[in-house]
Amino acid sequence: MRLAYYPGCVAQESGKELDIATRYVAKTLGIELVEFPTFSCCGSGFVDEANEVLNVAINARNLAIAERAGLDLLTICSTCQGMLSLAILRMQDPAVRSRVEGALRPLGIDYRGSVKVKHLLRVLTEDIGLDAIRARVRRPLGGLKVGAFYGCHLLRPADELGWEDGEEPHAFEDLLAAVGATPVYYRGRVMCCGFPIQFVKGETASRIAGRQILDAKAHGADAMATPCPLCHISLDAYQNQAAKAVERPLDLPVFHLPQIVGLAFGASPEELGLPRHLVPTDAALAKIGAARP
Amino acid sequence: MAEPTVPAIFDVYRYDPAIDREPRYQRYTLDLAPHTPVLSALLRIRAEIDPSLTLRYSCRSAICGSCAMQINSKSRLACETHIGPEMERHGRIVVEPMRNQAVLRDLVVDQASFWRQYSLVEPHLKLDPAHPMPEGEPTSMTPEEVERFKETPRCIACAACYSACPAVEADAGFPGPMALAKLYRFVVDPRDHARQDRLVRIQPNGLWLCLRCHLCTEACPKDVRPSERIRDLKEMAIAVQGATENGSRHAVGFKDNIEDRGLLNEMRLVRQTYGTLGMLGQVGQGLRIVRKKPEIMRRPHAIEGVDELQKIYEALDPEEPK
Repeated sequence: MRLAYYPGCVAQESGKELDIATRYVAKTLGIELVEFPTFSCCGSGFVDEANEVLNVAINARNLAIAERAGLDLLTICSTCQGMLSLAILRMQDPAVRSRVEGALRPLGIDYRGSVKVKHLLRVLTEDIGLDAIRARVRRPLGGLKVGAFYGCHLLRPADELGWEDGEEPHAFEDLLAAVGATPVYYRGRVMCCGFPIQFVKGETASRIAGRQILDAKAHGADAMATPCPLCHISLDAYQNQAAKAVERPLDLPVFHLPQIVGLAFGASPEELGLPRHLVPTDAALAKIGAARP
Repeated sequence: MAEPTVPAIFDVYRYDPAIDREPRYQRYTLDLAPHTPVLSALLRIRAEIDPSLTLRYSCRSAICGSCAMQINSKSRLACETHIGPEMERHGRIVVEPMRNQAVLRDLVVDQASFWRQYSLVEPHLKLDPAHPMPEGEPTSMTPEEVERFKETPRCIACAACYSACPAVEADAGFPGPMALAKLYRFVVDPRDHARQDRLVRIQPNGLWLCLRCHLCTEACPKDVRPSERIRDLKEMAIAVQGATENGSRHAVGFKDNIEDRGLLNEMRLVRQTYGTLGMLGQVGQGLRIVRKKPEIMRRPHAIEGVDELQKIYEALDPEEPK
């Protein structure tokens, strides 16, 4: 399987461990990641707030790059997935399309709308399939209780994204079960991580993150796992702030999706960039026999 | 002909603050046709099993907006949520009052905060005193003007969106999806004279707290799509006022940030949002993160073809003379 690899900004910078873990999982499963140094940022929802048509055009350019190469796009971020998917949809509006084409055509960029955008979660559960994933498991996760945390833009608006249920998804839990973890069902799994307003009102953002982490803990989670590096920033890098905001200790490790799969495939914590996390993952690793001696 | 029925298990939230020390869940089991609305089931429970069950409802036709509640954690109208799919998915139907509003009794909540936020956006036409509506004559709108309302006039004020909103849950100052969708409805009304004032006044501790999580759009029984209209309001607010709030500075800063190199420069964005002085407040957290993730300090590489991206900006985001 060959896919145009769209890592997004964060996985190339502060969330580098997500990129590292994605490459490990792709290699194990024989997914060829074709890289394009021309891909730009997806706008992360913020450019959409400032200028919707510009945001569509930026992403139509990204889509056209993959389309020209005859490849579907692989995203590893819920927000990138949402923004690229919405660009496909918005381009079906003739008024938007004509403005975007007016900007792209003079540059020789022709977006036809034949490219698909798929998040790693969907590629693993639908294209690779859970049976093939199970066959690769070398270190079953031994019933580690993991709370999936989806990230809003992977799910909603569900009628526009047209994949999972917007409030009751199951793909991530299915994947967790396939690698031997015990999925934890809690309301917070489909809620917001607070990230979009971290820079608007940090305390409110942290309270939102804290509530979801507390919810996962209250349902017995040993760890959380997310397919979105922006959620990971809120839940891991800012977990100390979240704890302050909800006035409770949290100390819950948060994995990126391919890290949890990579652990089950037998990777070492270092091969998945786990030492880069702000919240130590040691306690969860010990439970699955992956801790360093 | 008798319709086939399924056993339906209801776990209903019960709480009377005058008597109960804490809420409890009461189980009722009934045989019902799969297409039975949850509201009909609750009314049957009240009529046949437990007359003390308290709930709010009126039209039973998804028009009055009275029977919003949580059904298996989703904020929905009870009158149009069928028991069959809920039983199939969850094996039971947990019925709880709406969130983000204090419980008065069982499934009835105190809606004062919801209505207060609604009144704060002044949901009525404000006409230009110099151009009063002509008396006795109809006013007309073009089809294009009507189109701009999108689906917002369909709102029935059921508060399902308010119940579903994590920003309301975390911050009492946030107006909530319904009030903002209603604001949009007046901002785009060609007869309204207060457009600019409305867009300026809604920004502090209001508009920019929307998380764009789209949970309101999932919950809305009338497809008003509040989250998408709130996005529209943000773009309009920047157009009338520029980037004056943390939220608008962040959105505009992000947009300008990408134009430079094609990828996000994380440190530069923090500076763009907070200003150089304001960044001081972020130093402690920044240092914690930098120790594990030194990349946040460095400038990202420029993408190939960044000139192409900049030409797209020139075409669709021209510098406006201020």
